[in-house]
Amino acid sequence: MSREDRLGWGLVAPALLWTAAFFVLPFLAMLALSFAHMEGREVVHGFSFGNYVKAFGDWSQLKALVNSIEITLTVTVLSVLLAWPLAATIAWSVPPRWQRAALLAAILPFWTSYVVRSYSWALVLGKTGVLNRGFGLIGLGPYEMASTRFATVIGFTHFFVMLLTLTIYANLVQLSPNYLRAAQDLGASRLRAFVHVILPLTLPGIVTGAFVTFTLCIGDYITPQILGGNNELTLPQLIMLQMGRGGNFPMASALSVILMAVVTLAYAACARWLRLDRL
Amino acid sequence: MKRLSFLYLALAYAFIFLPVAVLVVFSFQDGRLPVPPFQGVTLKWYEKVLSDEGLMTALGHSALVAFGSSGVALALGFLAAHGLARVALPGSLLMRGLLIAPMTVSYLIIGLGLLTVFNQAGIKPSLVATGIGHVVINLPLCFAICFAAMGDHQKSAERAARDLGASEVQVLWHISAPMLAPALAAAFFLSVTFSWDEFIIAFLLTRFEVTLPVEIWSMLRSGLSPATNAIGSLVFLVSALVVIVLETLMRRKA
Amino acid sequence: MTRRFSTNLTALALVLASPALAEDQLNALVWCDHTDPALLEPFEKANNVKVNVKEYEGTAAGMAILDQSAPGDWDVMVVDSVDVARVAAAGRLAPIPAEALPTADFFPELVMAAQNVIDGKTYAVTEKYGYNTISFDKTKVDPADMEDMAALTSGKYDGKIGIYDYYLPVLGLVGLGQGVATADLNAGALAGLKEPLMALRKASRQVSDVVSSQTALATGEVDIVVGGGEWLTAVLAADNPNLDWTIPKQGGLRWSQSIGVVEGAANPDLALKFVQYIVSPEGQAALAQSSCYWGMPANMKAGDLLSAEAKATLRWDQQPDYLARAQLYPIPDAATDTAMQDLWTEMLNQ
Repeated sequence: MSREDRLGWGLVAPALLWTAAFFVLPFLAMLALSFAHMEGREVVHGFSFGNYVKAFGDWSQLKALVNSIEITLTVTVLSVLLAWPLAATIAWSVPPRWQRAALLAAILPFWTSYVVRSYSWALVLGKTGVLNRGFGLIGLGPYEMASTRFATVIGFTHFFVMLLTLTIYANLVQLSPNYLRAAQDLGASRLRAFVHVILPLTLPGIVTGAFVTFTLCIGDYITPQILGGNNELTLPQLIMLQMGRGGNFPMASALSVILMAVVTLAYAACARWLRLDRL
Repeated sequence: MKRLSFLYLALAYAFIFLPVAVLVVFSFQDGRLPVPPFQGVTLKWYEKVLSDEGLMTALGHSALVAFGSSGVALALGFLAAHGLARVALPGSLLMRGLLIAPMTVSYLIIGLGLLTVFNQAGIKPSLVATGIGHVVINLPLCFAICFAAMGDHQKSAERAARDLGASEVQVLWHISAPMLAPALAAAFFLSVTFSWDEFIIAFLLTRFEVTLPVEIWSMLRSGLSPATNAIGSLVFLVSALVVIVLETLMRRKA
Repeated sequence: MTRRFSTNLTALALVLASPALAEDQLNALVWCDHTDPALLEPFEKANNVKVNVKEYEGTAAGMAILDQSAPGDWDVMVVDSVDVARVAAAGRLAPIPAEALPTADFFPELVMAAQNVIDGKTYAVTEKYGYNTISFDKTKVDPADMEDMAALTSGKYDGKIGIYDYYLPVLGLVGLGQGVATADLNAGALAGLKEPLMALRKASRQVSDVVSSQTALATGEVDIVVGGGEWLTAVLAADNPNLDWTIPKQGGLRWSQSIGVVEGAANPDLALKFVQYIVSPEGQAALAQSSCYWGMPANMKAGDLLSAEAKATLRWDQQPDYLARAQLYPIPDAATDTAMQDLWTEMLNQ
């Protein structure tokens, strides 16, 4: 090994060791635990697929996975659809000297505490909350918004619109406006220019942001717990339920492995556009 | 078209700021419940929150964990990025993948995995355990940002320094770090933000000494109160102020 | 960079070194009502100690925390009275001298020797109790309806009901509605509860924890909370005098919590002292009105220290009648417990 190589390894080693010890090893331990089972209230180590059979075979468990995927997909699509025009408006319509300020304003609520953010949405969406009071003034409502999937989706979307606006904006400003102009000069309609020029060029930004949204959303416990009113369970809620009340670590581990598998599938689906190391 | 896009901008801002506005307004509620109708202005909830020892201790813990774990994550990430960008190692693509991997895993799973391993190893939940978890989530970010920022320009500057007889530590300290300063600062700042606000890992891996999000969570669970609004507003206003000051400073420099 | 890094390392090292526990600390594994400074401070001042508290919910979670700990980590523990035997059988509780406890001053029903005393040894003492029944807003529902559980699923209150998210009391209540005593609630009886539970679920708007239930009741999101009681409404009573609770004719559930000394406590004498403080009239009065939730003190002598308003909120005077009509929590064996949780999960995710 050359001096150069040794040096390289020396520099990479601490980070690699950290990741191996506190990320890879815990995951393997969890994987092993997911094949254990409960006898009475004791964890019995062994090798059984019982937890997985239950997770997929028992509708009350499987439903949590289905709910999570449905909610996450809705949130991801909705967030992209809302964030794209916001990022584009900031990048193209706001005068350059105000752009940073406009962007900062769009992501400022990022710095409220995450737990508190969901809680404030609960206050906004309640039956006597601010929104329903407002609707009441113009003779509408009250609408049942709190403790529903709608509330969970709104709470999530709020957070991820900010995140996606940031990633999409970063992508858009790197794009020279000349592309659009050139396409239009060549006779393309606005729509065609958008579909064939702008969209493909911003796709990496969108997909990267969407993937991060998917990952964070499907793994989140707080938002559905505070806003969903337990009218349905998401996978993280089921995991916490198995662990907290039941003390069933093996089942919680199996559900976590499933959650991780879903994210890996999502990763595989959008890997060709992902630029995680260029975030 | 332009008018339409500004209308959209206004609506989007309204959506983004609605919960924050409600949060702040009802932190001044002169009544026991932070819901309409608004019953008048009081500062008593701020007083209550600021004199709450548990909350203030948790605030200190959060800062400690955030700065500590971000420092470690940045150091590890910077060194690894430097190593991988500089030397063509066999399997470097794999190593990059491994270092980035935690980014694609839910915090809940990272927390649960660490809890499992710590249990078996007899390591008790603590702020250090939480800090270790936060390094795991922030290391990929720090690594990615540093790695992306390392360009050819910098490589040649480093080579020049080395040719002039600088040791590796000197190169890192006098050439690489200053050249990467903006990226390092951004990575550190983002890490602090994520760690500061992280809930589930801290929830699973702390015991007596908890971080602010965990303390707020138990506050929430023990009853609805404008005090929760007050602590939420305080955290928001202070962080927003820091962000705005940093942004202004950076702009002035640029 | 280097300097910041080393500063951080120093900070981490300091944290690492700090949990070494000094003699004058008491580590308590508790329910959230024990985190109120108004409860802890008098004890801390009188004994010049620091009480560290960690809250948990549900006996399984508490046992998991004990499993993760080394002997000596914990000094005292609050536990659901019906689970004292289970925790003691796992070797987690140390016997305490019965003569050191003022059980003679307790409401007789709350001495609960059947739960707290095993093979003649006292492992815990009851400290607080109350009821899981029906809370409601008396201006929005007919209080007379609330005397009969059947009204809940009659269709009249569809979409106005919240269910407290804890399977034991709610399944117990649903059982009472079907004429099943909580003591008879086993796997067989459980099968018969599925249909009424789902019917109740269908009539309800949400299933939620304490705060969400309170919020929903206070904001008019729901008008009734099944599983509620004084612990749910007392905190809100000052602002919303319309909130009320009752025990319907089918009966209600009585919850109670006990406190004991953890086996292997680093500081057993101080631990016992803390237990004694908690069951003393002063400790009992503070605990009854703790910030997290209210509840009746087990020690009758605490009555002298409670205000008339507090006693009214707690229904001090109705206790003889309520105590007679309420049943204990179900005490499921492991298999029934799992079946109950599965049924609950199914109900949540129907």
